[in-house]
Formats: sequence, structure tokens, C-alpha cells
Amino acid sequence: MKKSYSLSVTALLSVSLMLSACGGNNNNGGNASPADSSAPASSAPASSAAASESAAPADNGGSGEKVNLSFWTLFDGGDGANMQALVDEFNKTHPDIQVKNTKLVWGEYYTKLITAVGNGTGPDVGISHTSRLPDLIDQGVVTSYDDVSQDAGVDWSTFNQNLLNATVVDGEHYAVPIDTHPFIMYYNKKLLKDAGLLGDDGKPAMEQSADGFIKFLDALKAKLPAKTTPFALSNSNDDPYRLWWALYSQLGGNDVVADDLKTAAVDADKGAKAADYIQKLYTNGYIKKNDPDFYKNFQSGTAAIMMTGVWATGTWESTKGLEFGAMPIPKIFDQPATWGDSHTIILPTTKANDPAKRKAAAIFANWIADNGQIWAKAGHIPSKPSVLEKEEFKALPYRSDYASVADTVKFSKPSTKVWQIRDNSSFKFLNEVWAGKMTPADAMAKMQEATQKILNE
Amino acid sequence: MRMNKMRADVLALLFLLPFLAVYGLFTIWPMVKGVQMTFYKWTLIKKMKYVGWDNYSKMFHDQEVWAAIWHSAIFVILTTPTMIVLAILLAMIANRKSRLQKLYRSVFFLPSVLSVAVASYLGLFVFQPYNGFVNTLLHLIRLLPENREIFWLTELSLSWIALTLITLWWTVGFNFILYLSAMQDIPDEIVEAAKLDGASDSVIFWKITLPYLTPITKTIAMLQIISSFKVFLQIYIITGGGPLDKTRPIIQLIYQTGFRKNDLGYAATMSYMLFVILLVLSAIQYFINNRKGANA
Repeated sequence: MKKSYSLSVTALLSVSLMLSACGGNNNNGGNASPADSSAPASSAPASSAAASESAAPADNGGSGEKVNLSFWTLFDGGDGANMQALVDEFNKTHPDIQVKNTKLVWGEYYTKLITAVGNGTGPDVGISHTSRLPDLIDQGVVTSYDDVSQDAGVDWSTFNQNLLNATVVDGEHYAVPIDTHPFIMYYNKKLLKDAGLLGDDGKPAMEQSADGFIKFLDALKAKLPAKTTPFALSNSNDDPYRLWWALYSQLGGNDVVADDLKTAAVDADKGAKAADYIQKLYTNGYIKKNDPDFYKNFQSGTAAIMMTGVWATGTWESTKGLEFGAMPIPKIFDQPATWGDSHTIILPTTKANDPAKRKAAAIFANWIADNGQIWAKAGHIPSKPSVLEKEEFKALPYRSDYASVADTVKFSKPSTKVWQIRDNSSFKFLNEVWAGKMTPADAMAKMQEATQKILNE
Repeated sequence: MRMNKMRADVLALLFLLPFLAVYGLFTIWPMVKGVQMTFYKWTLIKKMKYVGWDNYSKMFHDQEVWAAIWHSAIFVILTTPTMIVLAILLAMIANRKSRLQKLYRSVFFLPSVLSVAVASYLGLFVFQPYNGFVNTLLHLIRLLPENREIFWLTELSLSWIALTLITLWWTVGFNFILYLSAMQDIPDEIVEAAKLDGASDSVIFWKITLPYLTPITKTIAMLQIISSFKVFLQIYIITGGGPLDKTRPIIQLIYQTGFRKNDLGYAATMSYMLFVILLVLSAIQYFINNRKGANA
């Protein structure tokens, strides 16, 4: 009896040692990533073949020799399926260029990309968010398109200039933007209708002003059934931060970093005004306190409005019985503006920096941007205005309701520390404001101090 | 004779070689490399720059580092004694002769087979407001009014409690097994003799059971302190170090500095500080154990 116990103890010991060794999960929870739309895999590349062929440059790669490109992406769910459809379609229509799509996990993508490029095993083509570009450029991970863009037939003037400008650093084009995924507003048509707040045009009956939005929420709160949330929003990190960024920019706030990218420049008055407005949304009970899952709250039809990135469109569409609408963030203050970021295609530094491959990669990147109607299925806004005119894009519901936002997205300045400032300063102090534990003015002072500290490092 | 011994040594070395090679390459060499890193500004791919003792002097003045070490220490203080008491209690329950003995054993041990991510997400769901298990239960037994919620994961002191409870539930099984096997090793004759002499259950517990458990308790305490000091993933998943970084343990800070801020040199410096702390703790414990061991 005793012997068998000590045996089992030893066995358990070794098992638990093994178990404790395999816990490497880096999920930081929440809806941090624009790559997490969970629409069902739509595999068919649609009937766009004919249309896209005409848009593709006639000369495929030039020399007639076959070029193989490795392509790293960070998309999963609906995004992943759409990108795969695009790659398949490209391979079919470009016999000279074959692209192999490797899907990596979003949470580890940038670390893997940087290390792989560092030791010379990186891909020929990759994806980067616009906000990540400055850091990648600084580390020497990405190269400029300027030597190949002309040969490859990339016409920079065909892009939405607001999106494009955010990817130009020191006058050089480092990325081909393929979309923008701004922060927008969704509303539940049924709940709004029952509350008498849906206009005849199917849009919320709301005056677009600071008081107007509050009045709208007040009316919702009064008329909605019990246990229904007027406004679904998380209580920390990304989404309330994006709302703050939108309102701060609407007030004329211009990033938290000065143009020299070395000095912290939180506009304390504007920042505090925006934060105060949002804090009241929490304290006055429009937003459910510490909502554990605000996506689910909206998805299950128990919240009247919600705000998040456009990537949610695909998810709502595939939700049975959810009658929803999409619109830009209301103009609460002086000028329309919202938070947003873009997915772009980059040319990572490779050992050989082979011109033929680089040219082929540029052709590929441009083709993806030209065929944004497939990419738009997940909800993103295409980066080329000409795509917005395509019939296939117009046939997609909802997208046209918010496509105009592309012009008013306020991108962050090309600081190499964008993500660090966001994670280690803005999130941190604004979260305290939302929890009612810090005044907006204090938070701005602390953000200024912390941002400067990060910039100094 | 001497030749034989040498041959045996060489032979032993030969057998050890495969292990030593792997051990040296993947454990010793990275450790040496780690020391080198502490003297450099070291990113993932950029050329590194020698900075001398800069990382060290920066660390000693860095409030964030000391705060994070303190948070790890809080976690140690919260989990170690509670873990020991809970493990002994569970072992006593499972050690009693009863028809449910087997059930107890498996139920108490079961959570230990979960990986940290699974345990943490379960914890998240259990403690989340509105539809989490704990709040729903409190509503059900009317300890908590219908219209009020307890925010376990966003209030600082409550989040420490939640983290402690989740960790205890998840890891107590292993210590429970250690105690159970130690209790099985207590000779039946002694307990029987005590019973014949009319000793009560509590006397048996304090005078016989507990003294017999002392050696294993020392071991468990040491393992527990070291592993609690290295806490990272459950906190990272459950509170993310919040609110306001006030539950962020030192390993999370090291991870963020190294892989988010891309400052591997500084992260390595902090890792070595943690290494030294653990070394000192183990040494203290070793000496205490040895002195007491001599008396026993």
C-alpha cells in the first residue's frame, strides 16, 4: 500500500512538472486585435476573377521566370479566410508569381517577424499595422518600396491619401495600405425602433452633439426594457481608449506626442474634456459597469448601441436574428474624427533583397489593394477609392454606410513608441478614470509624465 | 584498482555526455550569455551596445521594479501559509477511512492536471461580474442584493483574494498528495497506542500527526515560496497586472521589458536580480532546515 503511494507520488510529480512546463499562453485577453473577427470561413473567392484580372498589371513579374514569394500574415477567422481567397485568386491569375501564405498567430506575429528577419529567415512579403511601421523601420525590418514601385506599376495616387500618408516616413513609401479599420458605432435596429429612436431612414434619431448624444442615451435608458444596456463598451483598455482618442481628436487634440516625436504633448484641456465626457457615460449608468463581454452583450441583442472597430461587421452579419446598423462615431465635438489603424503589406529586409522578388511582391501588394472588395467582406474599408465604386463592394451591405470614415481617421504620429505609450501610459491611467478612481485632469498630468518617460528611454 | 576506478569514471562520463551536452548548450550557455546581456543595450536584432553597469544602476533606482518585486512578495505571503493549511486539511479529510476516500483523492487532485491557461480562464469565468459563478451564488443565497455586483477582478484587494483562491484551487492538489503520502507513512502503532491511552483526536493531531509532517512541510514551504515568486501567467491572464499595475509581478515586468519594449539587456538584469533573491531565500531556508534537522 505504502509503496504504491510513493510510486504514484513520483508519477504525479513528474506529470505535474511536465504540465507546469507547458503553459506558454500569451493571450492578453479582450478584443485587442483587429484580427479576431469570427465570421464563418467564406472560402469561395467570389465571382471577382474577371473584374480583378482587368485591374492587374498586364506584365506579370517581367522576366517571365517564375518567382516564389513567402508571405506571412497575422489573420485568422473571417480575415484569414478572405486573405487566403485573395492569395489563391492571385496565384491563379499570375502564373509567373506564386505566393505562399503562412498564417501566424496575431499575438506573436511581430516578435516572430522581427527575430526571423534578424537572423535572415524572414518572409519576402509581410503584413504590418500602420502604427507598427515606425518601429519596424527603426529596427531595420522593413525596406522602402521606392526602388520597385514604378516598375511594378504601383500608382500611389490611386490610394486614399489619408491612409497612405500615415505609411510614408521621411518621404519614403514603406508600405502598401490595403484597408483601414476605424472605430465606428453599431446599433441594434430592433431595440432602437421599440424605443422610438430609429428614424425613417433606418438611422438613429440623434442630434450629433455632446448634449444630443447624452439625450439620446437618456431616452434609451428610460425606454429600454430592464436589464438592457443602452451602450455596450468594455470598461478598460482598447475600446474606451479608442473612443477617447476619437473625442480628443474631434476637439482638435493632435496625438499625445509632439511633431518632433521626442516630447510628450498631451493637450491637457482637450484630453480632460474628452475623458470627462466618457467618464460620465460610465458613472451615469449608460454603460454597464465592468461588462465582462460587451461583444456578447451586443450580439445577443441586449444592448442598444456599441462601439468598436469595423472588423465586427462580419461577426454581426453572421449572427442570426441580429438586426443592426453601422455608422461613423457621432460628431460629438467640433470636427468629425475617429481612431483607426490600417493593415499594410510590407517588404521585409531579406538576405538577398532580390530585385525580381521585390518587384513581384510590389505587384502582389498592389493587386491585393486593387481587390479590396474581397477583403472588405470582414468589414474593413478598402484603401483605394476606386474599389468603393465597384459593384461587388456596393453589393455588400453596411460598408458603404461607414466607408466615408476613411478620410477622417486620425492616425497616430510615426513614433517608434506608439504601442508602448498606448499600453503603458494611456490605457493605464484612462482605465482608472473609467473606474472613477482618478480625475480626468490627474490622468492627463500622469499621462504626460509617463509618455515623456517612455520617449526618453 | 585505480585503473578500474578511472575506467569507471570515464565510462560514467561517456554515459553522461549526451545529457551534459544538451544541458550545457541549452541551460549553462544561455545563463552565461544572460550575464553578458546585462551589460549591453540589447534588442532582438539591432547591433548591441556596451553600457557597463548602466542597467544595474537604472534598476536600483527604478520604482517599477521594486513595486513589481513587492507584488510578487505579496503573492508569496498570501499563498504560502494558506496553501500549507489547506493542503493539510484536505489530506486529513482524504485520509479518513470513508467510502468516499477515493472520490476525495481524485477530486482534490484533479485541478492540478489543468494547464495554467485553462485554470486561469476558469477562474476568470468564476469571478466575473453579472454571470460569474461566485456572484450568482451570492445572489442565490441572498448574501448579495440582486442589484449589486462584486467586482472581484477590478478592485485591488479583491483581485488579490481572487488570484489567491484561484491559485490555491489550481495547485493545492500536488501538495495535498505530498501530505497524504506523509500521513500514510505515520506508523499505525503509534496512533493506536495513543488511542488506547485515551488521547483525543485533537491531541493525536497536534502531538503525532503534525510532528510527523514537519519535514515535508519544510520542503513544501520552500518549493511554494520559490514557485510563488515566479508567478506570472495566472496573474497575466486574470488581471493583466492591473488595476494600475498594482498586481503586476516581477516576471510580468521582465516579460514586458524584454519582449514588448524590446529591451532585452534590462530584462536580463532584472532576471538576475530575481535569481539572486531566490538564491538567498533558498540559502536561508537551507540553513534553517539544517540547524533544526540537527536537533530533531
